[in-house]
Amino acid sequence: MFPTPIARAKPWIRQVYKWLLPLALIVWLLPLIGIAVTSIRPSSDLASGNYFGWPSGFDFVKNYSAVFENSNIGWYILNSFKVTIPTVIGAVGLSCLTGFALAVYKFKSNLLVFFMFVAGNFVPFQILAIPVRDLTQSLGMYNTTMGLVMFHIAFQTGFCTLFMRNFIKGLPFALIESARVEGVNEWKIFWHIVMPLMRPAIAALSVLIFTFIWNDYFWATIMANSADVRPVTAGMSELKGQWKVAWELISAASIIAALPPVAMFFLMQKHFIAGLTLGATKG
Amino acid sequence: MAAVTLKNARKSFGDAHIIKGIDLEIADGEFTVFVGPSGCGKSTLLRMIAGLEEFTSGSLQIGGAEMADVESADRGVAMVFQSYALYPHMTVRDNIGFGLKMTGHAKQDIETRTKAAADMLQLGPMMDRKPSQLSGGQRQRVAIGRAIVRNPKVFLFDEPLSNLDAALRVQMRIEIGKLHTDLKTTMIYVTHDQVEAMTMADKIVVLHGGIIEQVGSPLELYHRPNNLFVAGFIGSPMMNFIAARVAASKAKSVTLELPGGTKTTITLQGKIPAVGSKLTLGVRPEHVEPGSKATGRVKCVVRAAEYLGSETMFYATLADGSDIAVKAGGLASEKAGDTLHLHLPPQACHLFNEQGITIHNGDLTR
Repeated sequence: MFPTPIARAKPWIRQVYKWLLPLALIVWLLPLIGIAVTSIRPSSDLASGNYFGWPSGFDFVKNYSAVFENSNIGWYILNSFKVTIPTVIGAVGLSCLTGFALAVYKFKSNLLVFFMFVAGNFVPFQILAIPVRDLTQSLGMYNTTMGLVMFHIAFQTGFCTLFMRNFIKGLPFALIESARVEGVNEWKIFWHIVMPLMRPAIAALSVLIFTFIWNDYFWATIMANSADVRPVTAGMSELKGQWKVAWELISAASIIAALPPVAMFFLMQKHFIAGLTLGATKG
Repeated sequence: MAAVTLKNARKSFGDAHIIKGIDLEIADGEFTVFVGPSGCGKSTLLRMIAGLEEFTSGSLQIGGAEMADVESADRGVAMVFQSYALYPHMTVRDNIGFGLKMTGHAKQDIETRTKAAADMLQLGPMMDRKPSQLSGGQRQRVAIGRAIVRNPKVFLFDEPLSNLDAALRVQMRIEIGKLHTDLKTTMIYVTHDQVEAMTMADKIVVLHGGIIEQVGSPLELYHRPNNLFVAGFIGSPMMNFIAARVAASKAKSVTLELPGGTKTTITLQGKIPAVGSKLTLGVRPEHVEPGSKATGRVKCVVRAAEYLGSETMFYATLADGSDIAVKAGGLASEKAGDTLHLHLPPQACHLFNEQGITIHNGDLTR
C-alpha cells in the first residue's frame, strides 16, 4: 500500500507525527481560535491589553446579545441572503445553459467564447472596482440589491461556465445523439436528459457559489454604502463604535456571520468536496 | 420498411477524407453488415445514414425519399449505440418510452408499444429497474427495445456487441438475428468483427480506407474475394499469402514456382498471366493439407503450435521466410521446430496480381 499507513511506520516517525500534527493544526486554526476566544472576552480584557492570554471572564451571552442589540445584524444577514440566493440561482442557471451550449454544439467560435469565459477569471477584480462602480451608478443600480446580484452573477458565470461545460463534456455524448435520433428536440434533451444528470454538479456549484458570495466583502463595500442593502460582511463595521473599536463584538458578529456558510458546508460536505474536484476530472 | 440507397456519398473532416464516394444499394428487409478495420469509415457511414453526421456530398435515399438533408428524427431510423446510451436516471420503462413521450404520443399508445417491445425482448421483470442495475446483455436489450418501439423503417446498429463478453456476444448475435426474422425490417449493422459479419449478414459490405472493397453474401466473400484485402479480412484465421512466380503457362493453366522451388499447376479461367510475372497465391489455413513427404511438397518449419483438441493450428515458416498458418486435425502431434510437408490443393488456391486484384478464385463451391 502507498503511502505506508502511519501505524506501520518506524517508531520515531510515529512520535514526530504525533507531535507535529496537533501542532500544525493549532497553528493553522490560530486565527479562528483567536476570534472565537475574543468573542467571549469582557471588553475590559481588551482595554487592559490582555489580547492573547486567558480571558478574565466569559461574557458569551453578554457579547452575543450585544451584537443583536447594538446593530442590525439580523437585517444584514437577511440582506446577505437576498444577495446570495438570487446570485446562486442566476449564476448556476445561466451556466447550465452556457455550459450545455459550449459542450454540445460545434460552432466556429466555440473555443474562443469558452476561453473568454475562462479568461474573465484571470482578471484581478480589484482593477475593475472603479469602472464597475461608475457603471452601477450610471445604470442607477448603485446601492441596490439588484445591482449587487447582477454584478455577482456576471462575475461568477465565467467560473460556473468552465465548471459546467467540463462536466457536460464528461457526460456520454451518445446519450444526446440517441435522443436526437429519437426525435427529441434540443430543449427537451437539455431539460430531460442533461439536467437530471447534472444534479451533482449543480449541487456542488451551488454550495461553492453560496460560500463565495456570502463571504464577499469587496463588492459589498464598493457597490453599496447604505444599511438598507449592505450584506452582513460589510454591515458588521457598524459595531466599530464612534470612539473605540469593540473587537469583542466584531469577533462575535464575525462568528455569527460565518455560521450560514459553515452550516451549508457541513450539510452539503459531500457535494462541496465533489465540487472542488468535479471540473478537473471526469465526474 | 424501406430500401436504402447511397449515391457517391462523401464525408470529409477538413482535409481528412473519411468516406470517399460510396455507392450502395440495400434492399428492403435486408440485414447488411458494414465491416472493416478500425478507421475504415464504417461508423461514420452509419452515422451519416442516421443523420448524426452531415454529408459533404452525395445522396441518401431511404424508402425512395431523399434524406441527406433531412433531420435525423425525420428519417425513420432507429439507432443502437455501442455504449447503449441508456439514460441512467430513468427506469427501463421510461428509457423505452422516452422518445415516444417526447414526440407527443398518447399515454395509452406508449404503454402498449413499450409492453410489446418488452415482451419481444423478455424485459418484463426488469421494467422498473435503472440501467445501473442491469447486466451488459440486459442493457443491450433495453437499447434495442428503445429502437423497436419507434417502428423504424431502418435499424442501425453501431458495434452493439463489442462491450459484451464472448458467450453473451454469441447469444445476442442469435437474438438480433431472430429479431430480424421477426420484424423483417431493413437493418444495417456495423462491426469490426468478421465472425459477427459472417454469421449475421444477408449482405456484407467490406469497407477499407473510405471506399467499398466488395459487397456480397458472406460465402461469396469467403469463396470469391475480389482482392487481397477482402481475402485477408474475411475468414479466421486469415488466408495465407505466398509469393509465387509463373514458371510456365498453357491455354487454361499456369504452373507456379513457390518458395523452396516447389511447383504447382492451377487450372484457371480467363486471361493467363505471362511467364515470369510475380503473383500472390492465397490459400486458407483450413484448406492446406499437411501430408507425408510423398504427398506434401511444400516444406515448412513449425514455429508455434496450438493444440485445441478439435483441431491443431500450426504457425510455420516457409523456405523464403514468409509465414504460413495451417489448420490440421486435432490429433496432429508435430512440435515447434519440426518440419511439415504441406499439400496446397490447386482447386482451393486464389491468385492475385501485383496490384492485389484477384485473377483467379479457388472457389470450392464450384
